[in-house]
Amino acid sequence: MRETWFLFRHFWKADVRAQHSIAGLVLFAIATVYAAYQVVQGRPEPETWNALAWIILLFTAFNGVSRTLEEDRSEVLAYLRTAVQPLHFMLARTLHNVVVLTGLSCLVVFFMGLLLGWAKLDGMRIAGFVGGMALTAVALGTTLTLLALIAARAGAGFGMTAVLGLPLVLPVVLVSTTLGSELMSGVSLADTWHNFAFLGALAAGSGVFGAVLFPYLWRAS
Amino acid sequence: MSQSQETTSPRAWALRLVGLVLLGYTFFMTFTVPLGPGIEDVRVSRTELTEDGGVYEVEILGHGTHFTTSEPRVFLRRGDNLMSATAVKASNDESLKCRIRLPKFVPAASFDVFVNGKQDGTISYANGFFATGLEAVAKAKFPDNEAILANLEAADLDFHFPFQPNIMESIRNLMLHVPMWFTMFLLMGISFAQSIRTLRVGGDRDGDQRAVSAVKVGLWFGVLGLLTGTLWARFTWGAWWVDDPQLNGAFVTVMVYAGYLVLRGSIQDAKLRSRLSAVYNLFGFCLLVVLLMVLPRFTESLHPGKGGNPAFSSYDLDSALRAAFYPAVLGWMILGTWMYQLQLRIEQTRERIAEAQLTRSNMPLALLFVPQASTSSLETVFMASGKMPVVVGVAAIILAGLGLWWLRTSRTLKRLSEEENTLNGTHNA
Repeated sequence: MRETWFLFRHFWKADVRAQHSIAGLVLFAIATVYAAYQVVQGRPEPETWNALAWIILLFTAFNGVSRTLEEDRSEVLAYLRTAVQPLHFMLARTLHNVVVLTGLSCLVVFFMGLLLGWAKLDGMRIAGFVGGMALTAVALGTTLTLLALIAARAGAGFGMTAVLGLPLVLPVVLVSTTLGSELMSGVSLADTWHNFAFLGALAAGSGVFGAVLFPYLWRAS
Repeated sequence: MSQSQETTSPRAWALRLVGLVLLGYTFFMTFTVPLGPGIEDVRVSRTELTEDGGVYEVEILGHGTHFTTSEPRVFLRRGDNLMSATAVKASNDESLKCRIRLPKFVPAASFDVFVNGKQDGTISYANGFFATGLEAVAKAKFPDNEAILANLEAADLDFHFPFQPNIMESIRNLMLHVPMWFTMFLLMGISFAQSIRTLRVGGDRDGDQRAVSAVKVGLWFGVLGLLTGTLWARFTWGAWWVDDPQLNGAFVTVMVYAGYLVLRGSIQDAKLRSRLSAVYNLFGFCLLVVLLMVLPRFTESLHPGKGGNPAFSSYDLDSALRAAFYPAVLGWMILGTWMYQLQLRIEQTRERIAEAQLTRSNMPLALLFVPQASTSSLETVFMASGKMPVVVGVAAIILAGLGLWWLRTSRTLKRLSEEENTLNGTHNA
């Protein structure tokens, strides 16, 4: 546990030091929301709003997981292989991605609200939507981390992550869009909690699979 | 280095023969067993409204019926209320005309239409008749009930498949389209098991070859399943593709495994490739189980067998469908594993040649696309004779697809073994 926490802080520090990487992500998220705002010209219909929010989150997530950290240089990896266990590395990496994606999801919702309005969301439903977005970001983080690592190991970049990941995140997308449209149509939080449970289960399940399978990617040859 | 060709044991050949016999039986059953009688459509040709009520001239179109010889009787039904039709006259075996007289106040706006006759028994069409121009009052009752239900004729039919409205003859697809998916799941299961084997020894070549062979053949079956399904959907639901959990699941499955092949194509190192693709295969398979088995249960689906729609489970008592469906599944599965063994031989031969030659070959990736709904001339062709052309089309797609596969595979095998022979020849010389 201590190793995981240490590695996580290590990744985080590396991110903070090399500011361009995380700043690029933030800029990408905001610019995409702004582009959406320009395209729909003002206040969109609730369905459009919902679709835009999830698509933007999805693209931001793919960008977020498939960027190259300083730690992915082969020399650093060669050192880490001797120093840490694969399970700890995977847990720290997943945690790092989850934190980054959750932050980005909040950012996306905030700018969606600022530029495109809140569609038909109000009060608690805004909180519910933000919570759903954050939970989706967690689920996307646990699912995509392993796929991004596979793609990185294969020597391919963003494109490969998308090819491998898009079909596999579909369960998450289906559940979260349902959640979004239910909140839009006035369903109360209490009546849509099962979607949150689904998202949590998907996140936990893919996290466990990732942790079990990652050691097989870790070996040098 | 002498490479002996893997020989197939007599037992395997016996199994393949059984598979072929089963498939022959399947096709025979699919195209020869008649469909039971049913009502295809009910049309009101003339309406006459008076102070006391309405008189309707109704035309009933049957499918597989024997109206001219069965002395049919027609009646409407809603709950306990029954109303006979008069002046029943059969124009031919599959069409009859009758007159329905209703009072001004009727118990419901729409009625189920029933036809009873000697050979066909009782056949019905739910909500086939709408009492337009009359007033529906809950308290209204039709007078004569028992007289109609007394001495109904029982069905006297040969071995037949059950008639389902709208699905009609295309129920035969159960023996063609559904086993495609069963076979694909079997092959993906083989691939899953082989991927576990690959990982346990840290990059086993044999396990990897088996996993990729199973995926390649399974993907072929999956694409055929999509194509046959989309043809059926066009003439059952009216669109080539509809938003439905079952369909999405099928499409995503095909995409996931196409992604598997893309991933393999992008890695040069054989050992790393075997490990990475095995990890992806396991991860993907587990998520597919979630996507296909868990999530659809919480949503509604149009697909037969899902969300309360009729499918095999409701025909469990129908011995005719069962007698054709189980052998069909077994036959297609045996064919699938046979194809898997051939594909495996291709992979192994390729690997041996590559080792000898140090060259690499690339695999093509079939791209899927779903065409848009098109003109109505298609409709007249495919909707004719109870949608039987849909079944023919489905069978044609499967036969063409599998024929293509066998042609390609036999050619590739021949070419590879020739290549290997010349290579071994030069080595020996």
